[in-house]
Amino acid sequence: MTTPSVRVFHKLEGLFSIYKPPGVHWKLVRDTVETNLLKGINAAPPPGPRQRVQFLAEPTSVMAEGSSELTLSAASVPALAHHPLVSGPEFQHIGVGVGHRLDVFSSGVLVLGVGQANKALTDLYRSHVTRDYTLEGELGMATDNFSHTGRLIERTTYDHITRDKLERVLAMMQGSNQKALLTYSKVDMSTQEAYELAVKGELRPDGKSPPIMTGLRLLHFQPPHFTLEVQCLNETQRYLCRILHEVGLELRSTAVCKGVRRTRDGPFTIQHALTHQHWTSPDVIQAIRQYRSSRKAGKAKHTQPGKDTGTASQRQEMAEEAPVNRVYFVFVKLF
Amino acid sequence: MSLAYLRLCTQHRLALGARGYATPTNDPRSRELKDEGPVFQYVGKQRKPNHKVFVWGFSYTGALGIPSFVVPDSGRKKPRKYQLTPYRLETEQQISSAACGYGFTLLSSSTKDLTKVWGMGLNRDSQLGFQRTQQDRHKSYDYVLEPSSVPLPLARPQQTRVVQVACGRAHSLVLTDSEGVFSLGNNAYGQCGRKMVEDEVYSASHIIHKMEGFDNPVTQVVCGQDHSLFLTETGKVYACGWGADGQTGLGHHNMCARPVAVGGDLAGVKVQQVTTYGDCSMAVSQDGQLYGWGNSEYLQLSSVTEATQINSPRLLPFEGVGKVTQVACGGTQVAILNERGEVFVWGYGILGKGPNLSESQTPELVPPTLFGRSEFNPAVTVSRIHCGLNHFAAVTDRGELFVWGKNVRGCLGIGKKEDQYFPWRVTVPGHVVDVACGVDHMVALVKSVI
Repeated sequence: MTTPSVRVFHKLEGLFSIYKPPGVHWKLVRDTVETNLLKGINAAPPPGPRQRVQFLAEPTSVMAEGSSELTLSAASVPALAHHPLVSGPEFQHIGVGVGHRLDVFSSGVLVLGVGQANKALTDLYRSHVTRDYTLEGELGMATDNFSHTGRLIERTTYDHITRDKLERVLAMMQGSNQKALLTYSKVDMSTQEAYELAVKGELRPDGKSPPIMTGLRLLHFQPPHFTLEVQCLNETQRYLCRILHEVGLELRSTAVCKGVRRTRDGPFTIQHALTHQHWTSPDVIQAIRQYRSSRKAGKAKHTQPGKDTGTASQRQEMAEEAPVNRVYFVFVKLF
Repeated sequence: MSLAYLRLCTQHRLALGARGYATPTNDPRSRELKDEGPVFQYVGKQRKPNHKVFVWGFSYTGALGIPSFVVPDSGRKKPRKYQLTPYRLETEQQISSAACGYGFTLLSSSTKDLTKVWGMGLNRDSQLGFQRTQQDRHKSYDYVLEPSSVPLPLARPQQTRVVQVACGRAHSLVLTDSEGVFSLGNNAYGQCGRKMVEDEVYSASHIIHKMEGFDNPVTQVVCGQDHSLFLTETGKVYACGWGADGQTGLGHHNMCARPVAVGGDLAGVKVQQVTTYGDCSMAVSQDGQLYGWGNSEYLQLSSVTEATQINSPRLLPFEGVGKVTQVACGGTQVAILNERGEVFVWGYGILGKGPNLSESQTPELVPPTLFGRSEFNPAVTVSRIHCGLNHFAAVTDRGELFVWGKNVRGCLGIGKKEDQYFPWRVTVPGHVVDVACGVDHMVALVKSVI
C-alpha cells in the first residue's frame, strides 16, 4: 500500500544539483541533504491506523447471570504495530548518491541522486562529460599544496607580468591540451574517420586519460589577482590548483589558488544549483521536475535518431547558456 | 632556479602586509610568515623574449647542425639518425632567417658582425662555401656537421646586413640589404646566375658570385630545385637556371645562366611574393592575384591548362579563395593563404583533408578548426604557410606550428615516423615566429613566451 510518505519518496527520486559551500567535506553535505529529505518524507501524515478484528469476551455483568457459554463479540480494534510511535518513522534511510566529488577547499555544483536515480548517476559519473570551473589565483606566492591555505614556500615578484604574457602562456597550455585530447582519443590518425571527427571537434578520449583541459580562458586580471575559466575532463581539484601553480612558473614567478568553484557539471549548471537554505524536499522536488522538463526540451530540439545504439543510452548535445556551449554525455533513458 | 637572486623588497612587504591586503586565510601564523622572508626576482620588468632555433628531421647529412647525432661524443651514446621532435640548436647570434635545402641548412643573422651566415649539412657542391678542413688547407669538408661560417665576399662587411637566405638542391642564395644577391654552389644549369663552365668541379670551390643584371634592388630570393627566382623592389620577377619544365618562366625550355626578367601574364604586374621548391613556381601580386608557371604534372596548374608544363607565367583565376596574401609550393602540392587567414591546398599527395583526398585541381579549404579554432578561440587564423618537398607547415597568429604531409625521415617533427593526413600541432617550447621546410628536415625560429 502506498502511503503518503512513499508517494513523497517517489517524487524525490531523481537527479538534482546543490551548491556545496567551501570548507565543508562533501560527505557532510550529503548527510545533511539526506537528513532534510527524510524529515520531509516523514513529515507526511501517517496513514490512518489499520483496523483489525478482535474477538472480545463479553463483559462480566452479562456473565454474572449464570450462563456457562463463552460469548465473544467482534470488535474493530486499531492495529498499533505500524504506528509511527511504535515502529518509528517509515523511512529511516534513503540512498542519496553523489556524482563527481568536490574536495574540502572547493565549492560549486555537486550532483546528487536519490533512490532509483543513482543508476543514472553512475552512468553520468562514468561518462565523459566536461566540467567548468572558475579558478581564482594570486601571483607572487608558492605554497606546498598549491592553495593559499598551505605552507608558504617562496615569494616572488610579479611586476613584469602583463595580461598579454599571461594570455600567451594560457594559449600555449591550451595548445598542448588540445594535442593531448587528440593523442588520448586512441583513434588511428591515418583514417578518414579520424579527420572528420577532428574537423567537428569530436575527437575525445573515451576511456582512461589524464586530466585534460578542453578550454582555458582568462576572465579577469588585476595583478596580483587573476581569474581563469577552465573546461576540463577527468580532473581533480588538486590538479586545477596545480595548473595555477604551473601558470605562475611559466611566467617566471609563482602563483597560488585562492578558490576553485565548479560552475557546471555535465548538464547541471550553477544557476539551478540549490543553496543551503533550499536543501529541503519541496525545493528538491521542484529542482528535479525542472531538470526533467529542461532535458525533454533539449531532447526535442536535438533528436538524432540515427545514432541510437542498442543499449538504452543516447548520445546527445545540449546548448548551454554557460560560457561554453557544447557538452557531450551519455544518459540513461529512465531519467 | 639558477637565475634567481635574493632581493629584500620592502615595498612588497608593505603591499603584502596585513593592513591593506585582505588575507584570504584566517590562520594568523601564515599571515605573519607572509611579512617575513625574502622575495625572489627571477625576471626583470624590461625583459625581452629570447630567440631560439629548433631543428628536427634526418641528421646524418649534418643538416641539423648537431655533430653528436652523427659522431657521438661519448662511446656509450649511439648515433641518432632521425630527430623526431624539435631539438634546440645553440647559435651565437639571433637568427633572423633560415632556409632548408636538399640535405643542408643555411642560417643568417641581421647582425653587423663579420660572421653573418652559417651553413651545415651537405657541401659536396660548395653550397655552404669553402669549409677548410683542419688537416689540409686546400680541401673542403663534404659534410659540415656544425653551423659553420660562410665566407661572403662583402665589400663593406661591417655595414651590410643579410636579409634573407634561400637553398635549393645544390645551390644557395644570400640576399643582403645593400650589396645585392650572392650565389654559391652548383652552377651546372646556370642556377647561380653566372656563365656555366664546362667540367667545372664544384666541390672545394671558392667561388661565391655576386649577381648582376637587376635593374632594382632585390627584395626576395627563392630557390627551386635547380633554378632561382628573384623579386625586385618594383615587383618585377627575374629567373635563371634549369628550365626544362618551364620553371624559369622565360618562354623557353632552355637553361639560363644570367637573371632575366620574367614576362607572360606577369608583365607590368607588381608581385609581392614568389615561391618555389621543386619544379613549379608561383607568384602573388600585390592585389591578391595568383600566377603560376613550370611543372604541372601534379595538377598544380591544371585549372588553366591541360599541358604538363607552362613556360610562361599564367594567371590562375580561382573563385571563392578571396584575396591571396601568401603562396607556398612544394614538389607536387600548392598551398595559399588568403587575407582572412584561411588555407587552401591543391595538387597531388597528402593535402591535409584526410587520406581520401590525394589529388585536387582546384583549391580545397582546410577547415580552420584543425588549426585550433573553437568556441573558446574563435579568432585563431593562420599567419604563414610554407611547403617542403612533400609536406606543409602553417604558423598561426598564436605562435603554434601545424604540419601535415608525408613524414620523410621524420621531417614533420611530431614524434612518430607515420605520415600525417591532417594538420597536427608540433610541440615547440615557445612562440613560433617562422619555419623553414626542407626535404627531410625542418628548422623553426622560436621566441620564448615571456
